[in-house]
Amino acid sequence: MTKKNYTSPYLAGVVLGLVLLASYVIAGRGLGASGAMMKAVVVVEKAVSQEHVDSNSYLAQYGGGDTNPLNDWLVFEILGVVAGAVISGLIGGRMKKETNRGPRITDRQRWIFAVIGGALFGFGARLARGCTSGVALSGGATLALGSWVTMIAIFAGAYGLAYFTRKLWI
Amino acid sequence: MFAPLAVLNEWSDGINYLFAFVIGIGFGAALETAGFGNSKKLAWQFYFRDLTVFKVMFTAIITAMTGMIFFDAFGWIDMSNVSINPTYLWPGIAGGLIMGVGFVIGGYCPGTSFAGLATLKIDALFYIIGALLGMFIFGEVAPLIEPFYSGRYSGYMGNITIYKFFGISAGVIGFFVMLVALVGFYGAEWAEKKTGNNIIN
Amino acid sequence: MNEITYTTQKMAGSYAEGWHIWGWEVPIYLFLGGITAGIIIIAALMMLKKRGKDFPVSTNRVILWAPVFLSLGMGALFLDLTNKLNVLSFYMTFEMTSVMSWGSWILLIIYPVSILMILSTFREGYSELYVKISKKLETIMDGKVLKLLEYMISFSEKNRDVIAKTAIPSGIALGIYTGILLSAFNARPLWNSAILGPLFLVSGISTGAAFIILLSEKDERHFISGIDVKLIMTELFILVLYFIGQITGGASKSEAINIFLGGDLFTPVFWIFFVFAGLILPLFLDWQESRGIEIHPKLQPLLVLFGGVMLRIILVKAAFILRDTSIHKMLY
Repeated sequence: MTKKNYTSPYLAGVVLGLVLLASYVIAGRGLGASGAMMKAVVVVEKAVSQEHVDSNSYLAQYGGGDTNPLNDWLVFEILGVVAGAVISGLIGGRMKKETNRGPRITDRQRWIFAVIGGALFGFGARLARGCTSGVALSGGATLALGSWVTMIAIFAGAYGLAYFTRKLWI
Repeated sequence: MFAPLAVLNEWSDGINYLFAFVIGIGFGAALETAGFGNSKKLAWQFYFRDLTVFKVMFTAIITAMTGMIFFDAFGWIDMSNVSINPTYLWPGIAGGLIMGVGFVIGGYCPGTSFAGLATLKIDALFYIIGALLGMFIFGEVAPLIEPFYSGRYSGYMGNITIYKFFGISAGVIGFFVMLVALVGFYGAEWAEKKTGNNIIN
Repeated sequence: MNEITYTTQKMAGSYAEGWHIWGWEVPIYLFLGGITAGIIIIAALMMLKKRGKDFPVSTNRVILWAPVFLSLGMGALFLDLTNKLNVLSFYMTFEMTSVMSWGSWILLIIYPVSILMILSTFREGYSELYVKISKKLETIMDGKVLKLLEYMISFSEKNRDVIAKTAIPSGIALGIYTGILLSAFNARPLWNSAILGPLFLVSGISTGAAFIILLSEKDERHFISGIDVKLIMTELFILVLYFIGQITGGASKSEAINIFLGGDLFTPVFWIFFVFAGLILPLFLDWQESRGIEIHPKLQPLLVLFGGVMLRIILVKAAFILRDTSIHKMLY
């Protein structure tokens, strides 16, 4: 079974848009990703020290007292994301253990930069109250002012730095 | 008026989560089939080589936005029960810039990293580890930066939308977004050709 | 007022205790009992059909795991020392009519039957290991031990069909028993369904088949996969019957089953981790494989095994959650 090409971006975009619309029509809220990751972080922190979570007002809103951080819409949505990507990857024959990177770096270097980039993105996503999915995409569709500002900032940050990170990708 | 279904019909959490899972399947499949499990494809947008991300994202925004405007116009959806992201101007800008930097270094955003992980991309796994780490750090310092995050210096403006901010109708803004996107799509196609049609299939 | 608070707290304490009794140990025991039943039934059928040449794992080799899994399952039960008495009473009350005591009768049969099955297939299934063992035994007690073993093995080999024919009903009894054990608790409406017996039996055979798939290769893997697909479909069908039975089975049952249909956390957990991940996804993977898409051969059986564990954990834990909430309703 050979790998199938990716779907046309405009078709994929319409499908993604309809999924997002369905999310608003069904649940009254948009899609998200980083929120679910934060819940996972709080689960671990809770297991280590409930006291620590309770004493931190930010963490307490996720897992203070008896609150179960995993009892959450986004957590189940992300489980679905993984399941949906597995299904789509299988149908398209794209399940392949690999590391995608530019030709001028090694896999190991790519992994290190993935951790660094992930950490920055994770920090920024919490600061901006959501990531590309929750803020840029979902907030963008509801025309929320702050979401558009954040979206523009994301692209500004990325395009601004792109020249200096070109060795990573091209 | 029937939407949002979960709110108006007072669904139990469980039913709501079950639909979250189904919606997530659609989300994950859409991301993966667009090619967003591949970090190189995502990063190449920043070098104008493969602008799939821009095209998919704006097509999706326009589709959902148009749908919402119509649902609202027909009185099908109760917008007071739809969550609109609140605007905290300064942390929104700072967080956005940091995310952008993280995006071009890490090659993924959180949502796409799950699509990458699901299709066995090792770099996606490392990215997720990093993102969890970054969020852990934020959680620890959040109380310290509270004035900037949600307090006096956060530039809080409430759950405001662009059209309310400018005092015009959503339809006009929607039309404007579509125009910008169309120009953007045209520009994207042009840029991809200019950089040598390097779209990753 | 204080008194009420006190009673509530006291009862809350007792739920916590109840939760503890039925932690992971009982579900794991039920799972391992089920997989043992599955292995015994499949191996016995293959022995009767004499498929040792084409399908060596399912016919001759996998049965070695039956007593291992069963013992691990028993171990899980006894591990929870604080409630040992509670558990022991399942086995110690030798009342012919009590469901609890059936377990001890069944186990009395299962152990010897599975040992006989191992003896009757060991020489074919593990020929190299057998040579090694017999060389070691030659030196012990002038080879008398070896002679005894050889006698037992050739006896079992000669009576293979009889052993297999005894094994099938014993395996079925064990599989059904793992479900009936729950439905014997009439006080828990979620478990009060005769269908749990067949459901756990089919699920047990299906996990047994999944375990065989994990161990086997190529033709045998495909053959057992084909069986497992039919088992999973049967399981889905039985699940529908269970739901219909609960919904139409009176107020307490239909209220109980609501925990999976319109409840809170247990609703998505049941449908996602058991029905989707453990039943639908394995069927989907099998379908994709038949379309010629390469899928990691361990993925599908691992999902089936995961689903088997989840079914039992969820059914056990949900019943305790229900008890908590219904007592809460009584109190407030």
